[in-house]
Amino acid sequence: MTTLERIRNGETGILVIGNHPGIVQSILDFDHLAGKPASIVCIIASTRKAQKFFFGPKEILIPCYRSVADVPQKDTSRVKWMLNMQSGRRVYESTVVFFQRFPEALGGHLFAENIPEIHATELVKTHGQKYVIAGPSGVGLLVPGHMKLGAIGGIGAAQLVQGKLTTPGNIAVVSTSGGMTNELITAVAGAGKRVSFSLCIGGDRFPVTSLSDVLLMAQNDANTEGIVYFGELGGVDEYEIVELLKQGKLTKPILCYIAGVIDEAFDEHMQFGHAKALVAHLGESAREKREALASAGAIAPETFPQFLAAMRGLPESPRGDTVSDINVYMQRASSILSTRHIVDLDAVPEFVKNGALVPQEQNGFAAATLKALIGRDVSDVTAAFVENIFELLMDHGGHVSGAVNTMITARAGKDMVSSLAAGLLTIGPRFGGAVNEAARAWYEGAASKVSAKEFVENKTKEGKLLAGIGHRKYRVGIPDPRVAALAEFTKLLSAHPHYDFARAIEGVTTGKNGNLILNVDGVMAAVLLDILAEKEEMDTAALRELVDTEFFNALFIIPRSVGFIAHFMEQKKNDEGLFRLPDELLFERDEDRDAE
Amino acid sequence: MSRVKISEYRAKKILVGDAYKGIQLRSGSGMQIPKGEWVAKVDQGVKKRFKQGLVSVNKPADEMLVAIRSWEERGFSQFLLEPFLVHDASEEQYFALERVREGIRMLHTKDGGVDIEAHPEAVQTYVIKSDADITSIAAQSGLPETFLRTVVDSFNNNFLAFLEINPLVIKDGEVHLLDAAVLVDSAGSFFVHSWGEDDFIKAKAKHAAEERVEALAATTPASLKLSVIDPNGALFFLLSGGGGSIVIADEAELEGAGKRMANYGEYSGGPTREETYLYAKEIISLMQASKSQKKALVIAGGVANFTDVKKTFLGIIDALQESADALRSASVKVFVRRGGPNEAQGLTLMQAFLEKEQLLGSVHGSDAVITTAVEEAIAYINV
Repeated sequence: MTTLERIRNGETGILVIGNHPGIVQSILDFDHLAGKPASIVCIIASTRKAQKFFFGPKEILIPCYRSVADVPQKDTSRVKWMLNMQSGRRVYESTVVFFQRFPEALGGHLFAENIPEIHATELVKTHGQKYVIAGPSGVGLLVPGHMKLGAIGGIGAAQLVQGKLTTPGNIAVVSTSGGMTNELITAVAGAGKRVSFSLCIGGDRFPVTSLSDVLLMAQNDANTEGIVYFGELGGVDEYEIVELLKQGKLTKPILCYIAGVIDEAFDEHMQFGHAKALVAHLGESAREKREALASAGAIAPETFPQFLAAMRGLPESPRGDTVSDINVYMQRASSILSTRHIVDLDAVPEFVKNGALVPQEQNGFAAATLKALIGRDVSDVTAAFVENIFELLMDHGGHVSGAVNTMITARAGKDMVSSLAAGLLTIGPRFGGAVNEAARAWYEGAASKVSAKEFVENKTKEGKLLAGIGHRKYRVGIPDPRVAALAEFTKLLSAHPHYDFARAIEGVTTGKNGNLILNVDGVMAAVLLDILAEKEEMDTAALRELVDTEFFNALFIIPRSVGFIAHFMEQKKNDEGLFRLPDELLFERDEDRDAE
Repeated sequence: MSRVKISEYRAKKILVGDAYKGIQLRSGSGMQIPKGEWVAKVDQGVKKRFKQGLVSVNKPADEMLVAIRSWEERGFSQFLLEPFLVHDASEEQYFALERVREGIRMLHTKDGGVDIEAHPEAVQTYVIKSDADITSIAAQSGLPETFLRTVVDSFNNNFLAFLEINPLVIKDGEVHLLDAAVLVDSAGSFFVHSWGEDDFIKAKAKHAAEERVEALAATTPASLKLSVIDPNGALFFLLSGGGGSIVIADEAELEGAGKRMANYGEYSGGPTREETYLYAKEIISLMQASKSQKKALVIAGGVANFTDVKKTFLGIIDALQESADALRSASVKVFVRRGGPNEAQGLTLMQAFLEKEQLLGSVHGSDAVITTAVEEAIAYINV
């Protein structure tokens, strides 16, 4: 199957490198107008995780990844094309990396001008045979009704309609110039024809996919019945057409315009807009090239208006234009926030039916909480583990920092929300906030190949504490009963790499100090990672997302809020008045004595 | 700007390294000729220097300084001093490298040297597709392999696009580059330290407006280009798009108005309103300075892919507004044809502005042929 046929068969998934939201939006508008699903699979951009675009009247989030290596498995099979919009200096490297990761892709477009010549010739050599690559420079590749790879055909919805870009036709449009590619697409539509495909070769000296390559694509494309070509003075590409015509390899009618007779008005040859547009050698003038084309059998009129008139003589196109209402595209307004439905408001929980209690699922609140947090139903084991955590962490007595702050605030006469907030605001690296950090440590440790010993040493070198390790009271020989209870869950799993890693770390740290055992925070994080991986079939990217979104800290905050509220209510009931720290409990340093 | 000529001094420093003993002389920085035998020459990318008397070979120091003075009077300011090498004309060879699609094309002839243009048939052509080809090409051409390997490495590592050594002298197994011309690939400037903008040869004295546009272009990813052709021309171009601008200029030539063009240039790649304003201002100033009786401004281009017509037209209107009174009293008319994103809004704004200021020639959109505006402008200046 030819590349064009594969595109028409739906192999149109695009990975975008670099940022050019206007062009990306125009591709999505094209897809929507053509009645296709969104072709943009993802964007490689370093600063965010998703970017919002419109798909028709609605908004969609397109995922962003830092590098092509980070594109998750679920997206990789859809990626068939690269739209590289990085600057000229970076294009070579990112293009090579893309095709290493996606060797089965069909091609791409390099948007930047001013890619070093040696980078372009290298790409010609290494990628030019296997892939269709439009550029360097230019506006990309268009297959009406199927795929728009780049700015080609315009970026406004009105332009997409005017150029009849959603209607597949039979005339191929080929040009070095980006602007003229669109001018010709518009002119073909104006002449009552429709475009089969259009590729802008780009005005740089060494296009990866060459003019001959494109013309042979047109010759071998069953849908193409005629070719329209725009070229300029400078370079000798047009002699490739002459050769193809002479050798009989190009038999479809080809209508050409070669711009640049204006150069004859000057005393010296002039450098025009594109890098290649300079007559440097014999035979590179517009007139010589036009005459060579005409004598080889191409239709090559002298003036542009004659060229446009000749367009009407090309084979007629079948016309199946659909009427598009572009008002929906013109009247869109971006939202300023996006979120998802946390709780299904239509599904009313039913606890009493016919005057009797309805039996409920086990661990129902934990399951419902998890559904709200991670957006899906969870297994019994996961729900039971979280229920276990909730019950375990609900309170840990009135001595701990958060409870103390809650109580002091309540006694200052503040309300429940303020007192609860005072308690919650205490949660952090030293109090209750270590669960997420522990999860991050186990996640990174298990994913990397470093040994437990190295891992500990690296952390020590960086001067960082090991979250999830260490207890004041419990030590080797006096195990923490809560840790033991939670660890029992590992017996329900077939593998538990995070737990194993955490235990290996404990093996290293207790060798230094018997108090440096795996604590409740640490075991919770480790076992929950293993449960989510096995019972919820989360891959490493999904686990990483939970770590990055601080999910694990929620497992402390939710139950402990209950404890704080209980301490608050207790204060209100007793109403002991404003708290003041007794003198004997406050040590006041004597500054003068210290100074002596 | 893609392939740019650099000074012979810099070219040889790159190719030969520290072993190169040439000395760069620049006007206004106390020139001295050291002891020894020297060749002095103008180093500003001039062809056929011998014929033009721009080389002084092995003369006493004071005579050489007199020669340099005389070159300065002819407008040159950069010179090169190189150790004089005694050699026989029969030892001269021609050698050139150019980057092509397949790799590097090498042109070589063992004899002929300086008179290469008289004997093009003597030139052998080779294509170096990869380093593996060097051994066999060295054997076929008779060039020392180490020389060829070094020069190809240097060609690639320094992002060179074209290199011509004429003559190349091989004497007692040693290679000497007597005259060298090098074009670098300006897109490689980010990756190299061996050459920089300072080494670029300025081909001719530029019009101040061209220099200002070049400076402006260096500050934006958009493309802004301007060439002043005839300061007293009648037809002024504010064109957009590399290809479309040539089509429009072509039409002027084909209609017999090529000689009445005042400038050529184009903006593309989505310049902002401010950038377009600054660019348009240069062309409007040129127009005001022209002594032509009749003047027309052509604002035209193809159907843009992503350059916003409304935004760029607002920039042009800003610039026209500043000089509207002067333009009106010089009976300038403005002819417009443009398409692209926000075409309708852009054209409406332009039409309203030109009507209000009585500058209106015509305004056309993408449903008109790209050459319409220039045709009407030519008709206007021909009346």
